[in-house]
Amino acid sequence: MKKYFIFVLLFLMQGMVFAEDNIALEKVKINLRDKQSIARGAKFFAANCMACHTLIYLRYNKVARDAGITYEKMPIHVTAWPFGITPPDLSLTANSRGVDWIYTYLHSFYVDPQRPTGFNNLLIPNTAMSGILVVYQGRQVLATDLKNSRLVFGRQLQWYDELELQSSGTMTPQEFDATITDVVNFLAYAAEPYHNERVRIGYWVIGFLFILFVLTYFLKKEYWKDIF
Amino acid sequence: MTIRHSFLNWISARFPIREFTKKHLTGYYAPRNFNFWYYFGFFSLLVLFNQIITGIWLAMEYTPVSDSAFASIQHIMRDVRYGWLLRLMHTTGASAFFIVIYLHMYRALIYGSYKKPRELLWLIGMLIYMTLLLEAFTGYVLPWGQMSYWGAAVITSLASAIPIIGKFIVVWLRGDFTVSTVTLHRFFSLHVIAVPLILFVLVFLHLVALHYVGSNNPDGIDIKEKKDAHGHPLDGIPFHPYYTVKDLMGAVVFLIIFSIVLFFAPKMGGYFLEPDNDIPANALQTPSHIAPVWYMTPFYAILRAIPNKFLGLIAMASAIAFMFVLPWLDRSKVRSIRYKGIYSKIAIAVFVVSFIGLGYLGLQPVSPLHSTLAQLFTTGYFLFFLTMPFYTAYEKDKPIPDRVTP
Repeated sequence: MKKYFIFVLLFLMQGMVFAEDNIALEKVKINLRDKQSIARGAKFFAANCMACHTLIYLRYNKVARDAGITYEKMPIHVTAWPFGITPPDLSLTANSRGVDWIYTYLHSFYVDPQRPTGFNNLLIPNTAMSGILVVYQGRQVLATDLKNSRLVFGRQLQWYDELELQSSGTMTPQEFDATITDVVNFLAYAAEPYHNERVRIGYWVIGFLFILFVLTYFLKKEYWKDIF
Repeated sequence: MTIRHSFLNWISARFPIREFTKKHLTGYYAPRNFNFWYYFGFFSLLVLFNQIITGIWLAMEYTPVSDSAFASIQHIMRDVRYGWLLRLMHTTGASAFFIVIYLHMYRALIYGSYKKPRELLWLIGMLIYMTLLLEAFTGYVLPWGQMSYWGAAVITSLASAIPIIGKFIVVWLRGDFTVSTVTLHRFFSLHVIAVPLILFVLVFLHLVALHYVGSNNPDGIDIKEKKDAHGHPLDGIPFHPYYTVKDLMGAVVFLIIFSIVLFFAPKMGGYFLEPDNDIPANALQTPSHIAPVWYMTPFYAILRAIPNKFLGLIAMASAIAFMFVLPWLDRSKVRSIRYKGIYSKIAIAVFVVSFIGLGYLGLQPVSPLHSTLAQLFTTGYFLFFLTMPFYTAYEKDKPIPDRVTP
């Protein structure tokens, strides 16, 4: 029995490392094999995000180059950002924050006249980022009452429990969700461009090892037949 | 005479190659009843080999300077052909090393492999473990992410708890007043040359001592007492070919599990590779929650369980020191848990629960419940050692068999 302790331990500890967030993270289903989705995400990123955000570690990448993401176009030369906060490089954000986090963050901007940008965010209160996605998503405001929320006692609120759409944008909510999924998919790709190769090689290596196991198993059995 | 023979004869006239293989492989008799737990020593050697080979190639592309260290890791992961594979083999190997070492140590614990005449073997093993912790810590700093930086800051600052000279020791360790590029550069030097050299010498000595006293076995009885007409132990079999083929099979199983993690879950849910370490080191921004990597957390939990920092440091040091003196705390007449009394079994269960409990708590943020539990487990951990001379001497052992059992 004792040999299973370590596996039980690792199982119990799964996912306990991440810190609590202000709102519940909405789960996003991404597919790193969907190259069209990654390319769409890359194009959206080049058109909407690259004015402020860099992806410095993706500079020699083919997919990124095809989408027009090049080192020269990235605004790394800007020295004085408004509010003194440099927009973070997003090369590894899908690893450090997680894809659910990015997906939720990009969904939870709302109008807040108190902020210099005019927008605030549920996940990072008083975020320096402006609500640039409002053109697509539409203007969201804090819900005056939580009548629409499927509020369960003890459960953390989702962004859509706390926000309501005031005026619609150029995209329907479904289109917007799909677009943000593409962007998140692209950022997951940007964080680990080697992901698909890793998984592909993994199957071959493990397949080879299984064959090797059969051989070594019978080799051992042959040698050991007279012991005990 | 074949070419192979004449070549071997040429070598043998100049180097004791035949004597060496006979002494350590074909003529080294190991007990025939090794079980599951006896794979982990070999696995440790396998992982050590993996770390050295992948480490050599990583060092070719890595830059140990604070303003480019983080970027050079990304360069390895993205621009170097199969660089991601080398690095993930190295990071997965680091955690795998501690898993196999902990299981190897647990084996020694339950079968009494530390008892006479293997006390020195155990001590050398403990030194290997200490060296490995140092190697892991220095290596963890190199990617220069947030956890690297703040982990280095927290662990080097522990020395400041030492009265009077503590502050000077901290500066001496870091080579600077804060963790900086100087610290990174010296940790790189320690990680790639100084500590591995010590590790190599210790592993060599560990094997020399093992082959001199011979391996213990799950029954904890001495196989050298019953010998056949040729003077070979009746319950012993030559290491080669018997254990070489068995370890080969075991190694393949190990590599399958290793590969599953390596190729499909290299981050292991944030325990092998932590999310915060994908953010470059920033001296101005402390992460909300700093925890060491999982294999160090039992000791970190002991440190935090004691409210006083200096006393906590002493508790942490003595937690390791007690492991060193284990051979002299166990006064049992038998080695193996199979023939020890009920108190030894309870004690080992308490120890395992405490160690794993502390490991878990070391990862968690501080809370009153966590602190109470950590104090409870710390008590359990120390009681295992402190009461050992008594329960091992007074408990009733079972009779040991004459010959080993399958």
